[in-house]
Amino acid sequence: MANEIKISIKNLYKIFAPTPDVALEYVKRGMNKADLLDQQNHVLGLRDINVDILDGKITVIMGLSGSGKSTLIRHLNRLIEPTAGEIRLDGADVLDLNEEQLRQLRREQMSMVFQKFALLPHKTVLENAGMALNIRGSNVADFENEAVKWLARVGLEGNENQYPHQLSGGMQQRVGIARALVSNSPVMLMDEAFSALDPLIRSDMQDLLLELQGELQKTIVFITHDLDEALKLSDHLVILKDGEVVQQGDPQDILLNPNDPYIVAFINDINRARVLRVRSIMNRDVDSDIDYAGDLSEKDNLETVLSRSGGNTELIFRVVRNGEAVGSLSMRDLTRALVPTDAPTSSNARKD
Amino acid sequence: MATYDSLFSALGLKEWCAEGKEDGPMSMADLLAKAKGDNAEPESLWDFPFPSMDALNDSCAAFPQSRELTKGLEQGFLAVKDNLSLVLDPLTQPLSWALDGALYGMLTTPWWIIIPIMLAVVFLVTKSWKLVLFVGASLCLLAFIDYYVYAMQTLAIIFVCAFLCVLLGVPIGIAMSRSNTMQRLTIPVLDMLQTLPPFVYLIPLIFLFSVTESKLYGIAIILYAIVPVVRLTNLGIRLVDKDVIEAANAFGMTPSQKLFKVQIPLALPNIMAGINQTIMMSLAMVVIASLVSAPGLGVLVLRGIRNLELGVGLVAGLGIVILAVVLDRVTKASLARINSSQNQ
Repeated sequence: MANEIKISIKNLYKIFAPTPDVALEYVKRGMNKADLLDQQNHVLGLRDINVDILDGKITVIMGLSGSGKSTLIRHLNRLIEPTAGEIRLDGADVLDLNEEQLRQLRREQMSMVFQKFALLPHKTVLENAGMALNIRGSNVADFENEAVKWLARVGLEGNENQYPHQLSGGMQQRVGIARALVSNSPVMLMDEAFSALDPLIRSDMQDLLLELQGELQKTIVFITHDLDEALKLSDHLVILKDGEVVQQGDPQDILLNPNDPYIVAFINDINRARVLRVRSIMNRDVDSDIDYAGDLSEKDNLETVLSRSGGNTELIFRVVRNGEAVGSLSMRDLTRALVPTDAPTSSNARKD
Repeated sequence: MATYDSLFSALGLKEWCAEGKEDGPMSMADLLAKAKGDNAEPESLWDFPFPSMDALNDSCAAFPQSRELTKGLEQGFLAVKDNLSLVLDPLTQPLSWALDGALYGMLTTPWWIIIPIMLAVVFLVTKSWKLVLFVGASLCLLAFIDYYVYAMQTLAIIFVCAFLCVLLGVPIGIAMSRSNTMQRLTIPVLDMLQTLPPFVYLIPLIFLFSVTESKLYGIAIILYAIVPVVRLTNLGIRLVDKDVIEAANAFGMTPSQKLFKVQIPLALPNIMAGINQTIMMSLAMVVIASLVSAPGLGVLVLRGIRNLELGVGLVAGLGIVILAVVLDRVTKASLARINSSQNQ
């Protein structure tokens, strides 16, 4: 089930303009964002986005501010209407829904977590957490158990009767996550959910999210401008620039084979040893003759391997999955992988 | 010969002008000129008159004088008045009943029931014993100097009018916040109601309703006092945090859920500030409305002016100040309670 496509975005365009149809023609003929703004005074939000979001996985959409990532996530539940394109949820086009069906979708299929938390300030934490159920018509007594359960799960036991302004930012966002979980929707949209938190709390929240995801296997679409966060969370990484997808795929793969100078600039700053994992750079041949220095799990990151090697670059490790040898990793390959790769110079090497 | 004679002859309108050559009413300027004797006007550029209606009338008798404009307005109003009151009378009749009922209720219930009830209400909305004490002392002071009846009349009128202002004003404000067209159409009306001197809209009201009916001053007070609650309701709802509204949309709230669960509760501090202003403005208007038979402290002020009873006027004025302070403190305290419960 893990590999079924939950949401499929096809040829999505968004142009912010009073007459988007005219501008759409220009964009389809290849006018870029700056020119469109210059000549037509229209803002290009998204251009030809094609993304498949897999069921039960975390898809991270990353880009700098203005790259259209928040616009893109708001198309999924149609808080923003697209100019052209399709968004299919379980095969059905979200754009065909009428108002009532759309409301149903937002209530039952997709929940959302916001950068600025967006809790109701006049309601208690408990009432905020139960908001989704309250909207569907249940009262406090009905949703109390469910809300208390999820609040406890995100670490807010005993805060049920406080008001949001009495909580710290991190705790408020926990309420935001509990609110999304209580709605029990299969899809969770997280719009820069951790960007407003300080780094330590952010890291805690990322761990919490990964832990919850291990349990619940929801389809999560996560927006961020932070590459470390994107690499930590994502099963599938989509990188946006100026409203276009620059590269998407397995995050390890993007790290090793960036296809655009924009991405190279991004990944130059990160700690590759911590992010890259053994499975991405190992040699898949298993040779029983070699004298292995030890066994590694394929999920180990390179930092672990480095500390185990004690700085000796001559060593070769065996990589095992569930006790079975699946490959080998020489320290020489590892060292090479730590050096950032350049993007291919010709731009036509870009694939989508 | 008047200044603009040549203009009319140049336009070939001499004949048309001559048709109107009957003695119309004289303007004040004419009368003065006549009184001074007919020494011909010195045709210097310094005295060149603006081509106003009266100046043109001097040259052409068929041209209407400016007093005919006001007269026309008056006659037009009188012409539609009967039909207008046919519609407005039954519509506004409940206001008369409400005002008469409130006045009757407040005055026939003995003071030892009314005052405790008021104090209980004050405590309920403010939860402050200090304020209850202050209100109690103020009411007792007014009662001690035998102004109790007048003060209660004023309060009864304010309660009814302010309640109706909220009842009508909040929905209008909500409608304005939801549609920009509605806002564009309503704001000029609000501006006019706010800037028109209150005496001015007493005039058409006197023509429309009889002075013996209490709705006459009721309408005047409501028109004057409704503005702040409408404005602040609109503003309050428009100022609700966009992120919270987006969250409400993202979780699939219907428009009415959004209104009652998010927008109104979050706009409440602003709406309450509007209600405070509305109450204060009805107090201001209830004094002026004593000119058109509104009972209460304003009548005493009026008596003070008319009969030069200096003491009565001053004490009544002071009584109004006491009521104003009481109403202001109580509404502000309840506003502060709402604010503190949802401060972010």
